[in-house]
Amino acid sequence: MSKKILIIDDEADIRDFLTQLLEDEGYETATADDGLKGLDKAKEFHPDLITLDLQMPNDTGTAFYRKIHRDKDFGATPVIVISGIAGRHLAIREPLAVMDKPIDKAKLLETIKSALN
Amino acid sequence: MSTTSETKTPALEDWMYRGLFQQVPFNVAIIDQDYNIVNANDNFTEYFGPWRGKKCYRVYKKLSQPCLGCNARLTFEDGQPRVSDESGVDQHGQEAHYVVHIAPLRKRKGASVKYIVEMSRDIVETKNWQMEYQLLFERVPCYITVIDRNYKIIRANENFRRTFGDVLGRQCFEVYKKRRTKCPNCPAARTFRDGQVHRSQQVGIKKGGDKANYVLTTSPLGRQGDDVAHVIEMSMDITDVKKLQKEVIEAERLSAVGQTVAGLAHSIKNILMGLEGGMYIMGRGLQRNDREKLTQGWDMLERNFNKTTSLVRDFLSFAKGRMPELEMVKPNALVEEIIDLYQAIAAEVGVTLTADLDPKVGTVPLDPKGIHTCLTNLVSNAIDACEMSDNRQGEVTIATSAKKGAVSFTVTDNGTGMDSDIKRKVFTTFFTTKGGKGTGLGLLTTRRIVKEHGGHITVRSISGQGTRFRISFPKSRLTTLYDENKAEQVLKQQVKERS
Repeated sequence: MSKKILIIDDEADIRDFLTQLLEDEGYETATADDGLKGLDKAKEFHPDLITLDLQMPNDTGTAFYRKIHRDKDFGATPVIVISGIAGRHLAIREPLAVMDKPIDKAKLLETIKSALN
Repeated sequence: MSTTSETKTPALEDWMYRGLFQQVPFNVAIIDQDYNIVNANDNFTEYFGPWRGKKCYRVYKKLSQPCLGCNARLTFEDGQPRVSDESGVDQHGQEAHYVVHIAPLRKRKGASVKYIVEMSRDIVETKNWQMEYQLLFERVPCYITVIDRNYKIIRANENFRRTFGDVLGRQCFEVYKKRRTKCPNCPAARTFRDGQVHRSQQVGIKKGGDKANYVLTTSPLGRQGDDVAHVIEMSMDITDVKKLQKEVIEAERLSAVGQTVAGLAHSIKNILMGLEGGMYIMGRGLQRNDREKLTQGWDMLERNFNKTTSLVRDFLSFAKGRMPELEMVKPNALVEEIIDLYQAIAAEVGVTLTADLDPKVGTVPLDPKGIHTCLTNLVSNAIDACEMSDNRQGEVTIATSAKKGAVSFTVTDNGTGMDSDIKRKVFTTFFTTKGGKGTGLGLLTTRRIVKEHGGHITVRSISGQGTRFRISFPKSRLTTLYDENKAEQVLKQQVKERS
């Protein structure tokens, strides 16, 4: 069974891009455009991994990360932060990886692969 | 009758004269034709010291010969009484200022003047007061002039003369502003009319050609109730304050630009990623000869290219700090222009756009380009808010009004509205609720323009019901800015003419 990845980003184009990229690699994906919806989606979709943008309207990525990190069901789910804001590595603790926008495709896929195997 | 009284009360008469001579609140001296003091009262002695056997000029002024233009001499010649202001030296060697009344003493009417009586009174204190007031008037650190009903300057203090030149007899508007006619917002005219104190901010030109910002207070000279014949114009120079104010605004702008650069990088990174995504998806489409993917990728490229364009445009307009260039414009006409511009765009997304114009608004000095930018920002936000809301009947109204000395524009929509969290952030750089569609600079730019006009922007919003943005401009500030603009133009013109 293919692994499931939840993509959280407020930019439709970036969601589409990541969806296409990850589906091409054989992952199953779901998307959310803000942190609140992301949390609902996570409960319903049970992702194996989450990619997260940090700066979004409604619940920010940082708040989402804090919540999901504390959640007993998702506390262990690896999160890859994909963000363009400076100092992003300080904003949250212990993400699996932090990736700058625009992302390095090969590096992202590599990171995901090693996290899920 | 006189015979009776003389015979009856010779003693009383004598006491009376002696009492009068001693107790009258004057320094009294009797002088003969050779300037000898033949008698003087105790007041005199106390004031000027011993006088017996001395000439009056020696006692009064410590001179060795009669004063130039001696009034006593004249009275001896023509028998007319005289009054004059004199300065001398008192018995302690202090400078003495006194008023002297000189009257002739004759044996009988028509006889020659044998003696004169000099009655003097000390006015040192009055003189001192006068000098103090004069000093105060001259040295007080503001400009003071007194003008008559023809706006001619009849008095001007030292500070004023130093800044604006020696100007007595010239008209105040010419001196202050190099104008040929009365200033349009003249507070002195109001004071002449109603006898009340008025204040306004003005911009003038110093004698060297530099600009002077000042706060002018006009008050009537004279007693209450009388017709105002003269007005005191008192102004405080606030050029330095203005300069500081400008520097603060500039510093704020620069720091905002600095913060903005960080945000700008974020926006650009998102766009770059969108472009990369577009390329990736198009590449996939090419590989699989999938037309749908090709279109999706192309759309992404197009969208992100457009985003770059609008980001750059908004950023430039935000970063560009300038003083508004004020012209006399009709706010209502400006609104109609915006309605024309946005009617079709609004209709496309099912939003009705209407104007609610107050005819009292008339004509005011505004920067038409700046206000145009403000209104387009507010109106496009309002249309977006309607488009994003569940409400199917989107309505946006642009209203004008003239109230309490201010002109305002109000843009109201019945769109999504904002919660307090969003309301708090609307004026932060790069904050947007429109995802990739917004640049997060529109309201900031709007606020900057409004501030540069001396106005303010307010927002009222209820989540789920709609939002109302109001920008309002106090007319007095606009008039001042307009004058400043004008003064700057005159200055530029003068500099040009000189070179």
